[in-house]
Amino acid sequence: MLVRRISQFFIVYGAGIAFLLALKSILGLSDYVIPGPLEIWSTGLAVVNGYLYDVLNTLGVAMIGQILSIIMAFSIGTAARKSSWLGSFIKAAAYNIQAYPIVAVAPIIFILLGDGFTSRLIIAAMICYFPLLLSVVSIMSEPITSIEHFYLATGRMRWQLEIKIRAFENIRKLTTVISGSATLAMAGTIVAEFIAANAGIGHAIRIALYQSDLSRILAALFLIGIFLSLYQGTLEWMGEKIIKKWVIVDQEELP
Amino acid sequence: MLLQCRHLGYHYPLSPEPVFKDISLNLDTPGFHALFGPSGVGKTSFAKLLTGDITGYTGEIIKKENAVFLYTYNQERLPGWSSIGHHLEKVTPPGMTALCLELVDTFGMAPFMNQKFSQLSLGQQNRINLIRYLLQEFDLLVMDESLANVDERSKENIIFKIKEQFPDKYFLYISHNLMEVSKFSDMILVLLKAGKLPQTSLIKGLNIQRNDAINSHELDSVLLGIMNAC
Repeated sequence: MLVRRISQFFIVYGAGIAFLLALKSILGLSDYVIPGPLEIWSTGLAVVNGYLYDVLNTLGVAMIGQILSIIMAFSIGTAARKSSWLGSFIKAAAYNIQAYPIVAVAPIIFILLGDGFTSRLIIAAMICYFPLLLSVVSIMSEPITSIEHFYLATGRMRWQLEIKIRAFENIRKLTTVISGSATLAMAGTIVAEFIAANAGIGHAIRIALYQSDLSRILAALFLIGIFLSLYQGTLEWMGEKIIKKWVIVDQEELP
Repeated sequence: MLLQCRHLGYHYPLSPEPVFKDISLNLDTPGFHALFGPSGVGKTSFAKLLTGDITGYTGEIIKKENAVFLYTYNQERLPGWSSIGHHLEKVTPPGMTALCLELVDTFGMAPFMNQKFSQLSLGQQNRINLIRYLLQEFDLLVMDESLANVDERSKENIIFKIKEQFPDKYFLYISHNLMEVSKFSDMILVLLKAGKLPQTSLIKGLNIQRNDAINSHELDSVLLGIMNAC
């Protein structure tokens, strides 16, 4: 799974570079606009150590932001699963806020909190949180009648059991949503760093952008892709472990 | 009197045509009763109205005070995170463990208690589901195709066991199997398609017990009675 993710990234990245080089050749663009392969390679080698630190810095913020989002989304999402007043209110609020581009709020956060770690973390968590919340609400609101009926009819249903049943029955959806949200958290952090942060790979890309240095941008994209693939691959592997431990019997043959 | 229904009618939401109308029924004798009829006449809806699983009917349902009505159907599942033995243990009320073991044994489920629900065949799944309902406190248990996919011999054994073990309880067995309904049931409520009048017909079944010999003339008479009613 991990190898597949990384090899897919190599293919996409290679295709991207090939496209740029083809564009350079067809349109006769200068090395200043699109550098040649050797320059991309040498710039990559020159900046790899510094960018490695920056990517890890960004990834760290994204991971913490994602964990915060998961905790919040599951807490709020399970509370919103009921068709009560609170549940309906949370659902309506989540749908409305989701419709708004959260990244547009980022400048306010930087004005209020400055350009440090907290601002990046909040923006990463916000961008990751709402899609995650909607998925959790939609999964947790759907009754599993064929299992829940007995517990409801005999008065044995408790909210913990209801959540356990729905989480168990949707475990594949939930693990997919969580691993998918890693991209959102990473995107949120990088966007925050583009806007005003003083660290991270987004900050490094912004500097490269001001210098119109495409080689540096490509080197940064390469490292982002590798580490994001590693992170998502690890999340998927953990999800598979959980599924195997909890539900694997469903895949076995019936007697 | 455990249950009295007067002029019961029901429409599916947004449907102009009634599923059934004007059904009246008195259930005053414990035992193994049946609800029979062609597909789509509203057997399940009728049963769910009785147990309160659905509402929105016309007419009147009068239940004995504090009577517990349960409804079980053949597609119910147990949670898949642990073995069926563990689940049964969790839902067995205090003091019912011996009965649980007895039912597990009679229903032929003892060798499978360490397996998870999804590892069982459809018939085994239905049997284990029925066991957990039989262990609960109830006055009337509606069994909607609860023994589907169970082989004939096991089915017979299970029905006899239910009759022996719970002589004071009421059962309403929904099945499309004319023969088993005729043989095992005491009263058979035959539901007819909407538009036919009367909407129901009440027929006395053979209500055989274990070791009873079947009188083929009586059986033919019940079978004919049901066929004519339909």
